[in-house]
Amino acid sequence: MSGSDMRPGSTSKRVSSLRDLPREIAPPRDLWKGIEAEIAAPVQTVVKAPSHRLRYLAAAAMVAALAVGIWIGRELSVPLYTAHATVLPANNTPVDEPGAFHAAYVMGPKYINQRAQLVRDLATRLAQLPPESRTKVMSSLQAIDDSKRNLERELGKDPSNALLQELLVNTYQDEMRVLTAVHEAGSSGEGI
Amino acid sequence: MKEAGRQESPVDWEGALIQRARSGDTRAFERLYREHAGRVYGLCLRMTRDAALAEDCTQEAFINAWRALDRFEDRASMATWMHRIAVNVVLGKRRKAAPLMVDWDSLAPTGEDERIESEWTLETPLEVNDIEAAIGGLPDGARDVLVLYAIYGYSHSETAEMLGVAEGTCKAQLHRARGLLRDRLGVEVG
Repeated sequence: MSGSDMRPGSTSKRVSSLRDLPREIAPPRDLWKGIEAEIAAPVQTVVKAPSHRLRYLAAAAMVAALAVGIWIGRELSVPLYTAHATVLPANNTPVDEPGAFHAAYVMGPKYINQRAQLVRDLATRLAQLPPESRTKVMSSLQAIDDSKRNLERELGKDPSNALLQELLVNTYQDEMRVLTAVHEAGSSGEGI
Repeated sequence: MKEAGRQESPVDWEGALIQRARSGDTRAFERLYREHAGRVYGLCLRMTRDAALAEDCTQEAFINAWRALDRFEDRASMATWMHRIAVNVVLGKRRKAAPLMVDWDSLAPTGEDERIESEWTLETPLEVNDIEAAIGGLPDGARDVLVLYAIYGYSHSETAEMLGVAEGTCKAQLHRARGLLRDRLGVEVG
């Protein structure tokens, strides 16, 4: 250690024991800025892999969408809405489970009105369908409803989860496709 | 003389600062830095004999401490913990710079135990600068032990643990340091 490095206050003070040497030596410059720059650096965000639960929900939503897509042939053109929607379940009762995500996500009033109209006509239209088609529709709507409830419940726990939001919107869109297909189907169940 | 543990006071301000720092409060950690920087830098400077390197070691020690705050035991002394981290940083840099330079085990225990409660008194009072220069001229191994034991007051076992050497080696180095200091300072070191 050079002499100039080791002169706390460049003192010529005399001591009679090594124990009396100063324990503290002030750094010649403030080192805090360098430390702060290092510890305040943003931690690299680690994108978490979807949890098993989320993967299950995604798979369930996909299965529901696939089933709906198959039976309506995806040839139907439904005026779906681009942005986020809030949609009531097919039975028109809002999901009201504790912790559920009450989607005030909303599409425009046009969507809500259109859906409400389709839901009102659903019972009448279903009654006109052959039993086999009716069973298909009811089964698909049930799958969609289950999927929506699960997604809304998970979104209640993690409202900012973009994947869940997207899955939920897709599920709403699938529901609209089913309702529209039922509405436009003939009494023979054609198109279903 | 021992390094003091955490000061017991009605308000454990340091414990509170540590808690806040653990939760990510850099202002709290800055206060801890301000409190301990002088002791950490002093130790690093005495061990490295290089002001710029001592600054680097001090910074690195505090950065390491920030990252390891969760592992800090609440009843431990922050001062001692910081010194342990600083010693590790200095030894790490020294190994990188000259991996074969420090050969701790080359100095076998002499069997002549250092007096545990030695006060390291000088036969005649001397100027601080002269003493520091003499300490700075000691070989690394002897100097490290002398600094931790004689200046900062750690016990043999604590000093040995910090430096990663056997306690016998630590005592032997201290014995060697005492002899070298006596020769360089020209006074008896009791």
